[in-house]
Amino acid sequence: MTDSQLPRYEIFIVERPGRPPTYAGSVHASDDELAMLNARDVFARRPDCHGLWAFRAETISSRTADEALSAFEETEPAPRERYLVFGKLGHKGVPTFLGAVEASDPDEAVGRGRSLYGQDVVLWWVAPERCRLATAAEDAGPMFEPAKGKPFRDQAFYPVETLMRQLRRARTHKQERS
Amino acid sequence: MMVSPRPETGSNPEAAAEYVERLTAFEARIARGEKIEPRDWMPDEYRRQLIRMISQHAHSEIVGMLPEGGWITRAPSLRRKLVLLAKVQDEAGHGQYLYHAAETLGATREEMIEALLAGRAKYSSIFNYPAAAWADVGVIGWFVDSAAILNQTMLARSSYGPYARAMVRICAEENFHRKQGMEIVLRLTQGTASQQTMVQEAVNRWWWPTLMMFGPRDADSPNTPMLVRWGVKTRTNDELRQDFVDQTVPEAQAMGLTLPDPELRFDAQAGRWIFGTIDWDEFWKVVKGNGPCNEERILARRQAHDDGAWVRAALQAYGTRQEQAA
Amino acid sequence: MNEEMRRAAAAYVLSLGDDEMILSHRDSEWTGHAPILEEDIAFANIALDEMGHALLWYRLHAELLGKDPEVHPDRLVYQRKPADFRNTPLVEGPKGDWARSILRQFLFDSAELVRLAELSQSAHAPLAAVARKILTEERYHDRHTRAWVRRLGLGTDESRRRMQQALEELWPFVPDLMARRPEESPLVAAGICPPADVVQKSWEADVIPTLQAAGLRFPTESVPARFDRFHHTTDLDELLAELQSVARLESSEAVW
Repeated sequence: MTDSQLPRYEIFIVERPGRPPTYAGSVHASDDELAMLNARDVFARRPDCHGLWAFRAETISSRTADEALSAFEETEPAPRERYLVFGKLGHKGVPTFLGAVEASDPDEAVGRGRSLYGQDVVLWWVAPERCRLATAAEDAGPMFEPAKGKPFRDQAFYPVETLMRQLRRARTHKQERS
Repeated sequence: MMVSPRPETGSNPEAAAEYVERLTAFEARIARGEKIEPRDWMPDEYRRQLIRMISQHAHSEIVGMLPEGGWITRAPSLRRKLVLLAKVQDEAGHGQYLYHAAETLGATREEMIEALLAGRAKYSSIFNYPAAAWADVGVIGWFVDSAAILNQTMLARSSYGPYARAMVRICAEENFHRKQGMEIVLRLTQGTASQQTMVQEAVNRWWWPTLMMFGPRDADSPNTPMLVRWGVKTRTNDELRQDFVDQTVPEAQAMGLTLPDPELRFDAQAGRWIFGTIDWDEFWKVVKGNGPCNEERILARRQAHDDGAWVRAALQAYGTRQEQAA
Repeated sequence: MNEEMRRAAAAYVLSLGDDEMILSHRDSEWTGHAPILEEDIAFANIALDEMGHALLWYRLHAELLGKDPEVHPDRLVYQRKPADFRNTPLVEGPKGDWARSILRQFLFDSAELVRLAELSQSAHAPLAAVARKILTEERYHDRHTRAWVRRLGLGTDESRRRMQQALEELWPFVPDLMARRPEESPLVAAGICPPADVVQKSWEADVIPTLQAAGLRFPTESVPARFDRFHHTTDLDELLAELQSVARLESSEAVW
């Protein structure tokens, strides 16, 4: 009766141009293309989204600050690749993109991340750059422009206070006349 | 996912001591206002309660799409139609954020949906009432979303990180939901005699169910003390209910609408509105599944789920083949 | 712009608006009932965009006829009888199953993409401006729908069977989707809109291979439906009866 789950993708959004991507949540999708489309529909309905990154959930490795302390050991030189490093600074934030490092495995990536980006991080997320899905610059128009043309999602679109004031005034005038 | 074993009485004293140490540290973190994150240690009971609360909240958003969603096709102006569609879409989005938050605790979306369709999982009982007339759409936005905002603003301070963050996102989006409802109500109160009657009747039908939305009296809420201790809830049912009444009664008065409670009066000394007794028999009846629309709501969700099975199967087949080809 | 041209442009723009409005209404019926939560959100987005498009065309219609663009769209949607709507019958049919809705959406979105790209170059600047605005959103719809056509066509035997059935049922409505509108001649001559056969050729060059690549058999023989923009199915009667039902409780002057 139950279907097995569609894969989960973790989604990061660029809230303002030039700002690093921050973790927004996840979507379930059968494949990369649909994941990006769904991520846009779920997370980019308001104008505060200028870019999207997505990763299959299992490609992200997570390490707490304590776990990150255990030194990584470089044994034989292993093939290195670029890892994207995210950190949650303090106990209220969300994983935010810090930068990229060269590493042969997640623990090395976290270790290098620690030395480069500081010890204030309470939670580390790392993933190989090759696993990242990102919106292309030329797609930005169709992906993110439409959200700007939807003023009805902003509470300022509803003149409730004005209507209430008009009502009160009409009621006062009615009382005065009677 | 780290799940700590709950030590039984009389078992390994070392494990019991370790548990107490972890629990003390956990509660200290909460007292300091720190957020608990998915991979942090947490008592089983905390995890269980949160999964229950968050999934119930998610189900409420999804089921909540139905009473108003049914009016999209009949919305009487383009502005109303557009706005209502955007609102109901947001509710789907909120359900999505909340299912995600529950998943971080180890629940799966499929399990949660199965529990809902099988009648094992609860959702906010307010959605078991029918949206009988167009005016109900306005009153639901005004009453139910105001209540939801009060509840969610409180939950945004919740100790569990993913839940708190989902609440912040939801609160930001929900402001227009309440306002679009009030705009509908205001237009109707200033409209024709039949429009005014329509909205007053809707108010009469939705007032008490909205008060019931805040749940049982504090005295009858067994979960509340623990949820408060662990920072999941920071205000009680009765406190939130009072906030809602104090906020909404003046709004109704300003709109020239009456509320169906002969006992409603302002206590100037206490600075709050005194209101009548809720019909707790009705409350429990609806919570237990015997409200006016309980069956209809679950049937609609079951239908959507069943009708969609072949679609999900097609996606899975496509996705699997993609993976294999890669 | 002379009187004849204005009326022709108004008629053309009205049909564009009605297409978007009626399809938006059908798409909105999925809200709360879609097969996956993410798709509920996605399809509602498409419906919202389309309603916005309809509003843009209806306001342009108002300007061409000297009516109040703030009031005119609601009059068009809530006060007209079915016989006065100028949408193509493809968009008025019931939503059916997910395959039918996706296939209809694909046939429509792919046609719009071609038409709007042409209209973005229209000699009538306001029309070109509206087309350019809509085109940005339409590109996104097209990506989404195309992705779904592939997944349903290639997914399972059942999904392909449903898509094939949807194609058989909807193909008879394609001739009218592509047909020359009666008002086109002066507009084509003035470079205001593209000739229908140019749109059709571009569209077929895209749609036929796309459907085939999605594992579907493109219907070679089918009888065109006997409905067109002036002769609607009874589905439109039911649709409008529902759409207009609350508005009709009061006079057309009532405010909601």
